Amino acid sequence: MAYSPYDWRQTLQEKADYVEDRLRVGSPVIGISCRDGILLLTVRQSVQHKLYEIYDRLAFGGLGNPSDLEALRQASVDFCHAEGYQHSPEDVSIQRVVGFALSPVLKRGFADPLRTPLVILGLFAQLGERPEDDLFYKLNYDGDFALQHHYGGIAGTREAEAQLERILKDALGLKEPRRALAWEKALPQALQAWVMARWQVRQGSEPSKGEAGERGPSASEPVKEKGSSEMTHLPSEKERERLLAEELRQGSVEAVLLERETPRTQRFRPLSEEELAPFLPTKED
Amino acid sequence: MKRPAAQQGAFHGEVQGDFARLLEKGGVPLPRFGAGIDAGKRVEGSHELIMAHGTTVIAVKFKDGVLNVADRRATSGSSLILYDEAEKVLALDDSTLIAIAGSYAQAIEAVRYLQHSFKYYARSQLQEMSLEGKLAEVSRLLSGSLPRVLQGLGGFLPVISAYDRKQQMGRIFFYDMMGARFETREFGAAGSGAERIRGALEYVEQSRGPFHELSLDQALRESLLLLEIAAKLDAATGGLGRVLPLAKTVTAEGVAEVPETKLRAIQAEALSAPRSD
Repeated sequence: MAYSPYDWRQTLQEKADYVEDRLRVGSPVIGISCRDGILLLTVRQSVQHKLYEIYDRLAFGGLGNPSDLEALRQASVDFCHAEGYQHSPEDVSIQRVVGFALSPVLKRGFADPLRTPLVILGLFAQLGERPEDDLFYKLNYDGDFALQHHYGGIAGTREAEAQLERILKDALGLKEPRRALAWEKALPQALQAWVMARWQVRQGSEPSKGEAGERGPSASEPVKEKGSSEMTHLPSEKERERLLAEELRQGSVEAVLLERETPRTQRFRPLSEEELAPFLPTKED
Repeated sequence: MKRPAAQQGAFHGEVQGDFARLLEKGGVPLPRFGAGIDAGKRVEGSHELIMAHGTTVIAVKFKDGVLNVADRRATSGSSLILYDEAEKVLALDDSTLIAIAGSYAQAIEAVRYLQHSFKYYARSQLQEMSLEGKLAEVSRLLSGSLPRVLQGLGGFLPVISAYDRKQQMGRIFFYDMMGARFETREFGAAGSGAERIRGALEYVEQSRGPFHELSLDQALRESLLLLEIAAKLDAATGGLGRVLPLAKTVTAEGVAEVPETKLRAIQAEALSAPRSD
């Protein structure tokens, strides 16, 4: 079978639609740069973990097809450890993992009409010496990636992601000279951002909303901030609480801290249930 | 649509947490010290090469785990003191310490390899490597370095101290040059000074009670004194005198370095007067 340029573009569009359809249901992942480290948070529906340690100062969270995520994670871990041993742990940087090891492979796979695209959206975090040195990389299924400071978030639709970032930006007070929060202060913000993003995804998936919520392949479609104008109403506090309680009936909050100062060699520390309990709604039976 | 096998191969980890295979796949040279060298032939003039050697390391149990102390001298040949701040006790991960004696170059490279191997396994397989697995990995490295030893280029001997979470106690293992592993009940030592103080270690155990019942302070005092004795009997061991020794512990809480102030206090006490207790 031969492919004309027209077929090729159409194939890409179809592949993008295919991926976006599957990404939409994914649970958002949020990262906030705190005084004591980087906080990553998500809500998972199964026992399968969603936040992973990649290297000494690198962590990863993603949404999409579990086996595709696993492939992405394994590739990152492989790359980092071969690099860290050959040179030194300080030479392993998130920019090289995402930019050189992952993005080209994703891009190749996505552009090849004979391959099924990977259904993934990844958030990579790199812990720096100070909060302002922390880096967040968002990696798209088509190989596109973007760098962010202070916080990072991924969600199943573009609107939900914009919503999530607006909330984080307001909550973290990035306009004034910034002082990083303690993780205990950042966690409720991350949870709120997660709820809002989830709300936005649900709104977008209602049939009446039509085409709202499409991400579009990032290379071909410029990012439109349509979320803010299209939002008919923001959820009240009650509605947000109800949504979170509903989500937590099947799922559970997963949060990790990539610790800045620790006597241990391992900086990646999953927060225990006891540590998380004060921030969560009490479970009613 | 079925995903072509080639794509899976390009991305999926095929090495299953095995660090050696990962390096092989990536074309990174493995630390198989001396692989490919004719083991039967001694290298001419190898004894004249300036090679750093570490000297006395001691591991003793105490009630919360294992304490490791080491002098900081690295010598070359029989008489040259090459470096006086060598680190011979290193953390392999948060529950394992390695104390090294012998060829410093090989030992440090082995430590780097082991550290990466353990954390690679843990991160890729999402579970920590078992103590047994870690010990076997050390054996493999030692037997791999055998050709070099036979050529006269030197080898190294490690003492591994680990906190065993299942049994909730510290454990100490030592090795021979071929990679055989032995577990010891109370203490282990390696290096040129180690043989000279073995009797003293036995004596301390008999007279002061088993090491695993001692507090950290007691264990620290005894082992630093033993290090000082080793320095008196062995020219290649630096004692307590000029440079502070290095002391680290591994317990249920992880690996910790004994603070300098504590070492200084014991150093002053040990060097000034005979003990009265």
